[in-house]
Amino acid sequence: MDLAKYRALFLEEATEHLAEMSRALLVLEKIPNAGEAIETVFRMAHSIKSMAASLDYTSISELSHRLEDRMEGVRAAGRVHGADDLALLFRGLEALEQGVETVRSTGEAPAADADLMAALSADGGGAKKALP
Amino acid sequence: MKARTLVADDASFMREMIKEIIEPEGFEVVAEAGDGNDAIELFKEHSPDIITMDIVMPKKSGIEAVKGIVELDPGAKIVMCSALGQEALVMEALKAGAKDFIVKPFKPDLVVSTLRKAIEKQD
Repeated sequence: MDLAKYRALFLEEATEHLAEMSRALLVLEKIPNAGEAIETVFRMAHSIKSMAASLDYTSISELSHRLEDRMEGVRAAGRVHGADDLALLFRGLEALEQGVETVRSTGEAPAADADLMAALSADGGGAKKALP
Repeated sequence: MKARTLVADDASFMREMIKEIIEPEGFEVVAEAGDGNDAIELFKEHSPDIITMDIVMPKKSGIEAVKGIVELDPGAKIVMCSALGQEALVMEALKAGAKDFIVKPFKPDLVVSTLRKAIEKQD
């Protein structure tokens, strides 16, 4: 496998995906139940996860996996629940952006942010909150 | 003769990777789709021998695309590209008519053998 080719493809596509994710989160800030924006954040996280896993960028792949799982909960609930949830999603986005920048400058993924990983896993996203 | 292949995935990264894995092994990628709608349209246009289908795609999901393609050709050979944690979706796709699945990140040997088996599979 031509690693340089795939790294370049990853950097290009992940950067586009993160810009799209950012736009979708800004929509969710105004309209917490915007279905299309929820789908976009979920899909972008999923796509980055698969690409990062293929290149063994484990911290990026695991972070996007947690974000994807959290968005699965948001999808099930049909909305983002409150400012704290949204802030956490923005933190996830920011960490992914930093991760991609680290790959761009060093060729390696950064170390995982354990606190953020734990926060993204806490209470399973929006789904549990939607239950009675 | 090479197996004419349609690759459907919204990430060009993954499409490129599949191409690189299968093209030296007797497959020819005749078309690439970036979403479920394109997958159905390109299936109509090219009548490929085999299709690799991502599950999470814009416009129409991979599962909806499987349903659309199987409606056109119940014998279509479709292999789903899934990721860990998508077991339920894979089951849904198999029920809808997909023949098999491969899991990302791809193991090249497994990708090739799964596609070959799917082509040989009789309905």
